Amino acid sequence: MTAPVPHEPSSASLVRLVAAREVSTRIRDKGFIVSSVVILLVIIGAVLFQVLAGSGDDETRIGLVGGDASVVTALEAQGEALDVDVEVVEYDDEPAARTAVEDEDVEGVLLAGGEPELLVRESAGGTLEAVVQGAVGQLAIAEQLTAAGIDELEVPEVGVTAVDADAAADGQRVVTAIFGVVILYSLLILFGQFIAQGVVEEKSSRVVELLLATMRPWQLLAGKILGLGLLALGQIVAIGVVAVVAALTFDVVEVPGDLISTVAVVIAWFVLGYAWYAAVFAVAASLVSRQEDLATVLMPTSMVLVVAFFIGIQAASDPGGMLARVTSYIPGLSPLVMPVRQAAGEVALWEIALAVVLMVLAIGLVVRLGGRIYSGALLRTGGKIKMREALAAERA
Amino acid sequence: MLEFDGLHKSFGEVRVLEGVGFTVAPGSMFGFCGSNGAGKTTTMRIAMGLVRPDTGEVRWQGRPLDQASRRRVGYMPEERGLYPKMKVGEQVTYFARLHGLDAAAAAKASRDWVERLGLGARRDEQLEKLSLGNQQRVQLAAALVSRPEVLILDEPFSGLDPVGVDSLAEALLDQVRQGVPVVFSSHQLDLVERLCDSVGILARGRMVAAGTVEELRRREAGRLLRVVVPDAAPDWAATLPGARVVSEQNGDTLLDLDGGADDQAVLAAALRTGRVTHFAWQQPTLVELFRGAVAAPAPEEVAA
Repeated sequence: MTAPVPHEPSSASLVRLVAAREVSTRIRDKGFIVSSVVILLVIIGAVLFQVLAGSGDDETRIGLVGGDASVVTALEAQGEALDVDVEVVEYDDEPAARTAVEDEDVEGVLLAGGEPELLVRESAGGTLEAVVQGAVGQLAIAEQLTAAGIDELEVPEVGVTAVDADAAADGQRVVTAIFGVVILYSLLILFGQFIAQGVVEEKSSRVVELLLATMRPWQLLAGKILGLGLLALGQIVAIGVVAVVAALTFDVVEVPGDLISTVAVVIAWFVLGYAWYAAVFAVAASLVSRQEDLATVLMPTSMVLVVAFFIGIQAASDPGGMLARVTSYIPGLSPLVMPVRQAAGEVALWEIALAVVLMVLAIGLVVRLGGRIYSGALLRTGGKIKMREALAAERA
Repeated sequence: MLEFDGLHKSFGEVRVLEGVGFTVAPGSMFGFCGSNGAGKTTTMRIAMGLVRPDTGEVRWQGRPLDQASRRRVGYMPEERGLYPKMKVGEQVTYFARLHGLDAAAAAKASRDWVERLGLGARRDEQLEKLSLGNQQRVQLAAALVSRPEVLILDEPFSGLDPVGVDSLAEALLDQVRQGVPVVFSSHQLDLVERLCDSVGILARGRMVAAGTVEELRRREAGRLLRVVVPDAAPDWAATLPGARVVSEQNGDTLLDLDGGADDQAVLAAALRTGRVTHFAWQQPTLVELFRGAVAAPAPEEVAA
């Protein structure tokens, strides 16, 4: 047996070793693979649903017997005015048109002879009748005007000025942000659970004693958070890319730039939110020694996450409201509220900066204080440890 | 030298260690005995930096053990500890890397040790699928894989069948032959007596005895004399000066002699009763030494 030459590993390399173990263990875990695939499928499903729901809107096929090109033009123009896609299908004679109506190839057929007549299967729908009536009426007026010697009629065009030109784009961004908040919430809960389970597994199997003989508690904590964090980041980026690509492919969004920037904002807030929740979950988990006791200690933090989630959703409908405004600064809540406000486009830069700074400070606090609780609690097994005891044990 | 020096530790009101100290020479095995709750685990945890002593320190080669030098210590905790769902080979490799081996060396050392402890075929199985005895072997592999300079093992033999005990003992003796100081705690005193060069007995947070088994015996010996006189009356020794009868049964007599008592006078008295079939200083077993040492300061505790 040859003698290997051990060297003193740096903090960074210890953290990296722990992180690598987390990644390689988790990536082979069936639960993780299944949850990742399910989330991606849900995203694609949601986009497809959007496509189907969007394409289902009014399209009317109108048959036409007789009449010239002006009738086709008038029908189409009328359709456009009424926000209905009109497709005109011309038939040679009435029997052919009747068959088409009976086969439901078209919704109705306009017999444009001397006396215009609309053939329908049972009864004419509101839009169909409106389109045909409008087109026929317009043509008749034009004919009568021509007959009266008036070729060109000066009709003043109504100018349209949009009061909130961005409304559509805002709406779209808010929908994206809500979508993002749902994903963010799911991933935070999922990875928070992963972290907590990992901490308890190390405690209940006592492997932590062996680990702490070679590294400091903070290195272990940092490695776990970082390793799972990379996986989580990979997952949310994958989701973001899939969602953007799917949305662009199926032409669901009108402003791709806005979509991408909103996705980027959600991902950035995910990083901050993850760091905070992961640390809190890990520290809470270190207080118990059995998986069964986990739910109890994670409860308060999970509740905060749930509350943040609902405020985030609420903020979508009232992004400028007092509730959204205040909670978007509060660390822990901000990662789920601020992205929605940012998407709605009603946030000043200083507000975002303030929320980020507060969140970073909170992360620093949790890592410092939580790291001490974690160190004090790791080697104490049996029952649930009080936070104060853990802090005292750390100093002992 | 591995030196445990003046360790004191209290958890709240409870004083667990009150001045524990002993030394272990390189290439020797030290058996650490004591009743449950005597402070053995706390002493070992202090050495591994898992518990901070109130005073005192543990030194290796003259320098206090710190995070860096502890990496050169192989450790087996009392309640064992490995990842249940991690594969055997990967697990041992991981611990080798935590002890500072690079990836290639760690993989090779892991393969070698797993093979050597007879687990080659189980390398790709999850730890929890193995029997407890085999899990214990993996634990040993995790402690030995980084070629430690020092071994500290808390109850390494507990839960092993006799074959497992022998193979672990062989592995430890092999480490000793390579110059590694080995400290292990155990309740199996016959094992300690058989394997260890020196022994420490811990009771109520203090070392009540430390030294080679031979030294401990010598300290106790010179006191107990066994004389078998089949024809003697039951009270034949009652009047001997400086001797107290510990037990007497059909002439098989155990005598506790004062420092000044003359053993030859006892022999003469014995011969006067008739045949003497046995006359020798009693060699106390480690079990007897242990009982004596643990019980000595406060016999009522043992009685209770």
